[in-house]
Amino acid sequence: MRSELDMIVGGVRPLERPEAHTIEAPGKSGEGTFTGELTKALGEVDKLQVDADQQAKMVAEGGGNLHEMSLALEKADISMRLAMKVRNKLVDAYNEIMRMSV
Amino acid sequence: MKLFDTTLARLERSLDVRLARHNVLSANVANVDTPGYTAKDVDFKAAMAAASPGTGASAESMTLAGTEGDSIGAGAVGTTGHAADIPLMNAAGSSPSMDGNQVDLDRTMVSLAENGMQYGASARAAGKKLAILRYVSSDGNG
Amino acid sequence: MDFFTALRVSGSGLSAERTRVNLASSNLANAETTRGPDGQPYKRLDPVFQAVAMEGANATPGAPGEKPMGVEVSQVVADQTPGKRVYSPGHPDADADGFVTFPNVNPVNEVVNLLSASRGYEANATAVETLKQMAQRGLDISR
Repeated sequence: MRSELDMIVGGVRPLERPEAHTIEAPGKSGEGTFTGELTKALGEVDKLQVDADQQAKMVAEGGGNLHEMSLALEKADISMRLAMKVRNKLVDAYNEIMRMSV
Repeated sequence: MKLFDTTLARLERSLDVRLARHNVLSANVANVDTPGYTAKDVDFKAAMAAASPGTGASAESMTLAGTEGDSIGAGAVGTTGHAADIPLMNAAGSSPSMDGNQVDLDRTMVSLAENGMQYGASARAAGKKLAILRYVSSDGNG
Repeated sequence: MDFFTALRVSGSGLSAERTRVNLASSNLANAETTRGPDGQPYKRLDPVFQAVAMEGANATPGAPGEKPMGVEVSQVVADQTPGKRVYSPGHPDADADGFVTFPNVNPVNEVVNLLSASRGYEANATAVETLKQMAQRGLDISR
């Protein structure tokens, strides 16, 4: 009986540890901080706006690609709306905190 | 940093030039049976390069009051208004027909279609840019 | 890739087909003309179509021979086959032997050319319409 128990216990493999997700301690305002991520995201929104501007300019000058321009404009619009929503949420959160009585 | 940047200025300019070109091409179509009529077109690149009104007209101005032969309703195809600095050129036409008329109806209609599409594209782009600005300026509330 | 090269190509096609219709009509109208402006019987006219490169087609990738090409009527040639000679001594244009030379126009051929040119014209016009719709859809992406 003991040997059978041993077999059963031995047959159960230890739980495999998933790949440990290394969480680095973030720097002051580099990668990994909230500020860093926010800045990077705003940079991408800005890049989309510049892209849309360039496409619109190309179409205005008489060349350009109509559907590329439409897509660039739409991306710029959507990303800006999302950024605005995030900004509004941040402002609301700030106000909420300021309202808390200490 | 300006609120309404150069891109918007270029789009506005392109809308002006496209409208002027539409008028010119429509005048060509109206005069398709006029003896001795020379087809005209707008030199688009030159018109876009002439940045703003008042830089001085380079070539003929926009008034198309009938000077060619006996055009139908001589004054009717004249245009007035903003576009005093949009240079015209003679349209690259086909060989003139027996009565000296140089309007190639097919190419003119195709150019009208192209011009209309470009106008729509510029208008859409300008509208969209302004919509984004409006959205942001109203705190994300439309 | 240039959106509007296709429009210019179709425009050149429309223009060329229209020329073809004009020439076929001219041939039909002058099927019995025994005396032209030069005193000779009318000779039927043929357009010569030639593929030309469209300006603005440089944006499309590919070797020069593989870019979209427009069409133009490079020249109009008079068909030199002699017309049929009919014996008609009383005719004002009869020659010394009493024969009159009629134009080398076969009305059946000319009508076939006319129909073919008109189909070509419709096809080009359809291409233009299709491009317009495509452009509109492309713009509609942005509402």
